[in-house]
Order: sequence, then C-alpha cells, then structure tokens
Amino acid sequence: MEKSQTAVNTFVKETGAWIAAQLEACTRCGMCAEACHFYQGTGNPEYAPVWKIELLRRAYEQRFTLSGKFKLALGLEKAVTDADLTHWSEIDYYACTMCNKCSMVCPMGINLGSMIHDVRTGLSNAQAVPADLHAAVEKQENEGSPLGVTDAVFKQRIEWVADEWEIELPVDVKGADTLVVFSSIEVMKFPSNLAAIAKIMNAAGEKWTISTKGREVVNFGFYEGNEELTVLFASRVFDAAKELGVKRVMVTECGHAYDALRWSAANFMQVPAGIEVTHIAGVLGEFVKSGRIKLKPGAYDNDGAITFHDACKIQRRGSHIQEPRDILNILAPKSFKEMTPNKEEAICCGGGGGVIAIKDADPIRYAAFELKIDQIKKANAKTVAMVCSNCRLQFTDSVQHFNLDVKVAGLSQMVADALVEK
Amino acid sequence: MNWENILEFARGPFFQVALLVFVAGMAYRLVRVLALGWKPDRVKAKGSRVGGVAVSFLKGIIIWPFVPWVKNTFSRNPVIYLAGGLFHLGLFVVIFLGTAHMLVWKSLLGIGWFTLPLPIVDWLAAGAIVAMIALFINRLVNPVLKLLTGPAEWLNWLIVFLPMVTGYIMTHHLWLEYDTLFALHMLAVDVLLIWIPMSRISHFMFYFFAKAIHGSDFGKRAVTP
Ligand code: HEM
Ligand code: HEM
Ligand code: SF4
Ligand code: SF4
Repeated sequence: MEKSQTAVNTFVKETGAWIAAQLEACTRCGMCAEACHFYQGTGNPEYAPVWKIELLRRAYEQRFTLSGKFKLALGLEKAVTDADLTHWSEIDYYACTMCNKCSMVCPMGINLGSMIHDVRTGLSNAQAVPADLHAAVEKQENEGSPLGVTDAVFKQRIEWVADEWEIELPVDVKGADTLVVFSSIEVMKFPSNLAAIAKIMNAAGEKWTISTKGREVVNFGFYEGNEELTVLFASRVFDAAKELGVKRVMVTECGHAYDALRWSAANFMQVPAGIEVTHIAGVLGEFVKSGRIKLKPGAYDNDGAITFHDACKIQRRGSHIQEPRDILNILAPKSFKEMTPNKEEAICCGGGGGVIAIKDADPIRYAAFELKIDQIKKANAKTVAMVCSNCRLQFTDSVQHFNLDVKVAGLSQMVADALVEK
Repeated sequence: MNWENILEFARGPFFQVALLVFVAGMAYRLVRVLALGWKPDRVKAKGSRVGGVAVSFLKGIIIWPFVPWVKNTFSRNPVIYLAGGLFHLGLFVVIFLGTAHMLVWKSLLGIGWFTLPLPIVDWLAAGAIVAMIALFINRLVNPVLKLLTGPAEWLNWLIVFLPMVTGYIMTHHLWLEYDTLFALHMLAVDVLLIWIPMSRISHFMFYFFAKAIHGSDFGKRAVTP
C-alpha cells in the first residue's frame, strides 16, 4: 500500500464526530497563527496551527463530505500524496510542541493540539517520521530509554547519585505508597534532580520507591504519535506500579509523560484501577501546604528577580498552576516576578513535543525561544524556575546558544536546597 | 419577465425551496457528523467538565473572542478581531433586530419581538459592510490567510456580502427601483440560504460543539478554558 494511503486510512479511522465537528467549525480565519511561537518566531505561514491539521481536514472532507468530494472531482483540491507526507512531516514534527496554546486563541475553541497529535499518528503509521526522532523511539523500545539508560546504566547512575549526594534512594520497595518515575533527561543530564527529589521525599516522610522496571517516565512513542509504542512505554510504568503495589505514580519533572499517563492513558489503554498519577509539582504543593516539609522563607531573595516558566503540559494542560507560585512566594517573596503572558496563557519554550530531539529543527527551535528571551528580559529576571526538565533542557541549551546571562533552575532543586531540617 | 415577477419568484417559490435546502442541508450535515460516533472520555476528571463547558461558552459568547484585550494575540492581527467582531455584531443585529427581518421571522415562527430603531440598525449594517471589505483585504494580504484561502473562501465572502449590500442599498433607495433592489436582495438571500449548508458558513452550528469539546477538555484538567 502507498504510504499516503496508510496515512489517510489512519486519519479516517481517527475521525470521530468530535474531530469532525471541530474540523467543520473552523472558519479558516487564521487567528491561531498568532498564538504559535513557531509562527511568531519564524513568520513562516505554514507553521500556522490550522495548517498543521490540513492533511487531516483533506482526508476527512474527501472521504465524508459532499463538498470535499466535489472539490476533489473538480481538481480544486488534491488527494493526499506521499510528497505531502514528507512536507507535513517537517511541519508537524519540527514546528509543534503540542502545547495547545493555539486552542486558547481560536475563537471556535478548536483543540488543535490534540488534533495535531492525531496527524502525527497518521504520519507515524505511514513511517513519515523524522529519522532522529524515530531512532530515539526505537531506542526506548529496545533499551528502555531514548537516552540509552539501560538496566545497567540505570543501576549504576542510581548508585552514583546515592553516593555522590549521600542520599537514600529506595529501589523496588514493595508496598511503598508512591512510585517515583524519573525521566532519562534527569537521570543523564540533571542527576542532581534525582538527589533533590529523593531529599524532599525523605524529608516529607513519604514511603516511596523507584522501580528498575518502570524506570523511564518519558514516552517517545507519544511524541511520535505511535499508538502501539505509546501503550508499551506507558504499560512499563503501570506494570511496575502494579507489581510494587503502590497507591500512586509520581511523574517527576517531565511534562509530556504527565499528559500521557494522567490525562490520556485511560483513552488508549486499560489503566490499573486505584493507582493515581500525580506530578512532582502537585506533590511539592501538597507537602508544603500540609507542613510535611518546611522551606526557608526568602531563601532566594538575594539573587535578583526570579520568574517562573509555565510548562505547557504541566500548567496549561496539567493544572499545576498555583502550587509552584505558592512555593516561589515563600522562597522569594520579594523577587518573584511573573512574565506576561503566564499561567494557562503562557508561551511554550519551543523544545517540547520531541522537537528538541530533531537536529534539523534547531533553527526554528531557537527562533521560537526568542519569544521567551523577550519575556525574560521584560520581567528583568536573572533566574528562570520551572518544573519540566524538557523545558529545562531547551532553556539551558538556548541560554548557551544566545549567550544569555540567565540562570535556569528546576523548582525541585530549589526546594531541596531550601529545606529546613526538622 | 420583469422585476416584479422576479421579486415574486424570489420571495415565493425560490425562497421556500432555499429555506428547505437550508434546513434539510444543515440537518444532513449534523447527522453526517454525529454518525461518525462519539467516543467517551474515560480519563478521570480533576475539575468539572460541565463547569469547563459553561466557562468556555461564557467566554465565547459571540463577542468575547473579538474583545481585543483578552488575548495577547490582538496586537499582531487586529483587523481580524475588530472587523470580524464588527461584522458579526452588525449581521446579528440586522437579521434579528431590524424591523423588516423581524417580520420575516414572525411570519416563519409566529412570534415577533422588539426591534431597534432604523438608524441604529442602519449604522451597524454600514459598519458590517465596511468590516467585510476590511476582512477581504486582510485575506488578500495576510500571509497565513493567503495560504488558507481558496475559491470556497472567496465565494463565502461574496455570498454573504451580496445580501448585505443589496439590503443596504435598498433601504437607502439608491440607484435602482425599490422593487428591483428588493428582488436582487431576495435572490442574494436565497443563494445564501442554499450555500450555507454546502460551505463553512455553517460554522455557527459546529461552533457549539467545538466550544463544548474545548470546555470539557479544559474542565477535566481543571484549567480555565
Ligand atoms: C454562533 C454564531 C457565529 C459565530 C460564533 C461565528 C464566529 C465566527 C468567527 C470566529 C469567524 C472568524 C473570524 C472572522 O473572520 O471574523 C467567523 C467568520 C465568518 N463568519 Fe461567522 N460566526 C457565527 C455566525 C455566522 C453567520 C450566521 C454568518 C453568515 C450568515 C457568518 C458568516 C461568517 C463569514 C462570511 C466569515 C468569514 C469572514 C472572512 O472572510 O474572514 N457567521 N465567524
Ligand atoms: C428572508 C430573508 C430576508 C428578507 C425577506 C429580507 C428583506 C429585507 C427588507 C424588506 C429590508 C428593508 C428594506 C427597507 O427598509 O426599505 C432589508 C434590509 C436589509 N437586509 Fe434583508 N432580508 C432578508 C435576509 C437578509 C439577510 C440574510 C441579510 C444579511 C446577510 C440581509 C441584510 C440586509 C441588510 C444589510 C439590510 C439593510 C439594513 C439597513 O441598512 O438598515 N437580509 N431586508
Ligand atoms: S483560529 Fe480556529 S477557526 Fe481560525 S483558522 Fe485557526 S483553527 Fe480555524
Ligand atoms: S500546539 Fe503549540 S506549537 Fe503546536 S501549533 Fe499550537 S501553538 Fe503551535
């Protein structure tokens, strides 16, 4: 079968009434373009969010609507071709983090982010995925992690972290309450985050554990839109949780994984009953509020202004908007300053959705980040705090690329460093 | 054949056919979409889905998407907000609160309602026409809209524009005989009625679905839509 036919079949299969109704509601007004950091950063009209679902629309109209069939017959519009797949593969994977900011701006409220995910599924089934992104997916399939964290590497990393920071990291403890699953970005690039989170969990007296089986929270299958692998990667985590008999799974500083496990999984797989999925941002808020951990007030008030970057999947798509702010208001009551826009209207960092894993996307990833630079400058911030290590990777890389005098900080780390020993 | 006959035709049988096509066509579109099936969202909600839908509609109520300062995107493309808002406002006032049109509704539905004084309706009609011209130019020059606009979009514009201008010219008794203009107005209206179910002008029906889906997704995640 031709590739394009595979993609079209996927689009048609995915198009339930909720998708069709949204495609029909679109007035092609173009307002969503101004919401997208990739369009704003580059000015390329093909990065308009609505254009990213063009193939889905064409497949739907030509299959299900009279006007679509009519336009096809008259040659006003063409059927989806293999060349189209190649073209849109770049548009949908390079220039979208699925941050869903566009749906906040669309006057019809069309949920573009999730529809772009559906387009990716079609492209994935047709094997029109950028090579380096797909290589990372395969690596996660075969080695358990897109960054090469194999069983052996994981064990060695955990031992090293425990040693280096002199901290206890419980591994495979049956009957613990909380299964903490790190992302390999933390394991490999920000290992002190492991120590920081361990310190916080221990200080709060939480009964927690890491699992050697469910050790990777990142879901590169979800980035790609690969349904089968998304389920496989998610079930590694859920199976580990079941085996250990935990009450909840805590996603650490990773956004996409939280969207997949907490807000989407039940719609594409059987999730184990009675296991809650939470995020470190929510758990930190809970610990502070209930007094299970105490923070040194004003601990960060002497290093210039601190601002908070809202991650699309943790704040806009995950609702942990207030907790980080409550914490920063304790840690830096005088120097915490908001960027504008913020909270659910925040501008995405530009690195999520797998974009940062695609080398050829670097120029537009940096272009999108320039919006963030502008925001940081306007807030006059010296430090940017965040709760997503994927954002953090994009920030550290881009801060270096643009040679900025800005400190990038994970909130867990800040909290861990400001703990008051009881 | 003279204009009187054309008017009679356009107000009579043609109008009835157009109305029928409109109603049947919209029903077909709706059924066709709904028949694709609705998959329930099985994810456990954190907030209230219904609450999200309510907020989504409250924020969306016709005017809000066009209120400039609620979205930071305004400064980058003001024409679409201002002209789009003015056009829809004018359109709704003219077709629901203009006396001539209310009487049409009354003859169709059997109930009438209060109407606005002619000068107000008239100014809004003029505003809507100017806004439509602005939207037209915007579609010509904005790079994203150039990409998104094909023959169907230009036709949408034209077919909504024609009843607007003919109605306006008629009210002001300009250039042509009143009956001629009335006939042209009615022909344009009939064409519009037939065109709506075949085009994206049907967006006003699917608007309610899209907004509800949006609100429910945000409500489930306990985020303000
Ligand atoms: C619930 C009712 C409606 C809502 C929420 C709505 C909303 C919108 C929005 C958000 C746009 C895009 C922005 C813009 O170009 O202004 C739009 C465009 C448009 N609407 Fe509506 N609309 C409604 C009803 C109608 C009706 C009843 C008509 C005509 C009979 C209409 C005709 C148009 C046209 C022609 C455009 C395209 C303008 C252009 O060329 O850019 N709308 N509508
Ligand atoms: C059944 C359908 C319709 C009928 C019978 C009808 C009839 C009329 C009549 C009798 C007038 C008043 C002329 C006068 O005051 O001398 C008028 C004005 C007007 N009509 Fe319609 N009309 C219809 C639908 C529409 C539609 C769908 C639109 C817009 C898309 C429209 C736009 C206008 C406008 C802009 C005016 C001028 C209002 C003013 O300047 O105050 N009409 N129409
Ligand atoms: S803003 Fe919404 S209605 Fe307008 S073009 Fe984008 S998706 Fe379509
Ligand atoms: S989801 Fe985000 S990145 Fe993707 S098109 Fe929308 S605004 Fe752009």
